[in-house]
Amino acid sequence: MSTSLIAVIVIGLVLVLMYNSLVAKKNQVQNIFASVDTQLKKRYDLIPNLVASVSKYMEHEKSTLEDITKLRSDANKPNISDEDKIALDAKMSSALGSIMIAVENYPDLKANENVMHLQRSLNELEEQISAARRTYNQAVTDYNNALEMIPTNFMASAMGYKPKEVFQILESERKNINVKELFNA
Amino acid sequence: MKNKSELTDFYYKSLYPVLKKLDEQRKHVLYRVILVLSFFSLIYGALTYFFLNASDLNLDFLLASGVVYIAIVGFIYKFLIKDYTQEFKDTIIRPLITAIESKLSYASHMHVPQLHFNRSELFSHPDKLNGNDFVKGEIDSIPLQFSDIHAQKRHKDSKGRESYSTIFKGLFIVAEFNKHFHHKTIILPDSAQKTFGDFIGSWLQSNNFSRDSLIKMDNVAFEKEFVVYGSDQIEARYILSHTLMEKLILLKKRSGHPVYFSFVGANIHIAIYYDKDLFEPTLYKSLLKYKTAMEYVDTLHMAIGIVQELQLNQKLWSKK
Repeated sequence: MSTSLIAVIVIGLVLVLMYNSLVAKKNQVQNIFASVDTQLKKRYDLIPNLVASVSKYMEHEKSTLEDITKLRSDANKPNISDEDKIALDAKMSSALGSIMIAVENYPDLKANENVMHLQRSLNELEEQISAARRTYNQAVTDYNNALEMIPTNFMASAMGYKPKEVFQILESERKNINVKELFNA
Repeated sequence: MKNKSELTDFYYKSLYPVLKKLDEQRKHVLYRVILVLSFFSLIYGALTYFFLNASDLNLDFLLASGVVYIAIVGFIYKFLIKDYTQEFKDTIIRPLITAIESKLSYASHMHVPQLHFNRSELFSHPDKLNGNDFVKGEIDSIPLQFSDIHAQKRHKDSKGRESYSTIFKGLFIVAEFNKHFHHKTIILPDSAQKTFGDFIGSWLQSNNFSRDSLIKMDNVAFEKEFVVYGSDQIEARYILSHTLMEKLILLKKRSGHPVYFSFVGANIHIAIYYDKDLFEPTLYKSLLKYKTAMEYVDTLHMAIGIVQELQLNQKLWSKK
């Protein structure tokens, strides 16, 4: 076998491996985003119940509650892009966070069984969403690294792959969560 | 649960009369051990010398005789300190455990069942497993158990001779975890990245075929200390929140030994590789010495304190 033939086979093999690894990384990102999406949907499903339970009491937070309802209907629109979903999630997380803090100012709400139950469900879901977000970010980082690093960057640009956005991890997620305090509140 | 300084107080105040008596016993036992072993060694040496001169026995005989000598010395030593060891466990270790938490039970001759050890998937299944100092009970209504474990693998050489190598020797802790999970997450000390550097190390780790897929965590300090394998990427991160990762790093630093964690079934398994039998009385050092006392108090307090340290008592809603 001539040297040039061996060289062609080796180069071909390297190209195939690079191509496959890029496709695998892209699919991994998509797969994990599907899981994030499922968790986010679960949270959106809780919103109508939450709004209905707290709106009677929360006079001062009317606009935040309206924002939450609007965000939910935006999220439920068909054909919204992954980037939009990421942006909506960030807004929803901060709006829900402020509602949960505001609940502390309403003794009636704090004692309400239904609200307590919702609060716990949301807390649990937040933990799961946070895990899914972090997994997604890792998959995107691996994917984006491959897009920028030599030699896969040449192949990626030939395939038309574009870098993807990561979820912003809120500072509050990095803090120690005191579950006892949340529940006893 | 008592804190460490309360425990140290308890060790020196309440246990002091017993300790003093036991330390006297220790001196007697030490004297007897030296006497008996010196006498035995003398006779054994003389006999070996006689047999070597009497016939043309070679190096093999000398080697075999050496092995037999070590085995007999070990046996005699264990026999001589047996009563002293038992007395120490009954009068010092047991009260210490009850002082930390009265709801815990202690059995000095038992160990964590092999089922738990195998299920943890931290190590390969052992051919021989023994241990002692089994503690079991509930802390803040969280089931907890731990003991000394020595797990060994059997090997056979070409001549059919058997030998054993240690898989794990140290403290093995099992406790109920505060979150629901369905898959397995295994956390091992990161030796590959430390030895071969980040690039080759992580390539080696991702190609470890005996484990599930490698999971990279988003905490640099944690990644430096540990390597995570799991069957579900998202669940591993659900278990390993930023808070828990910090706590695991702290636990590793505090113990000063290699630490292994696994999340299987509903439990967290923690294996701390001390490479020695814990909770055994010292023979050559005084029991009244501060350093000796603190070793027992520290280890017990750390093992029993795991529930509060890792906040296993703060269950999420779904687990209530």
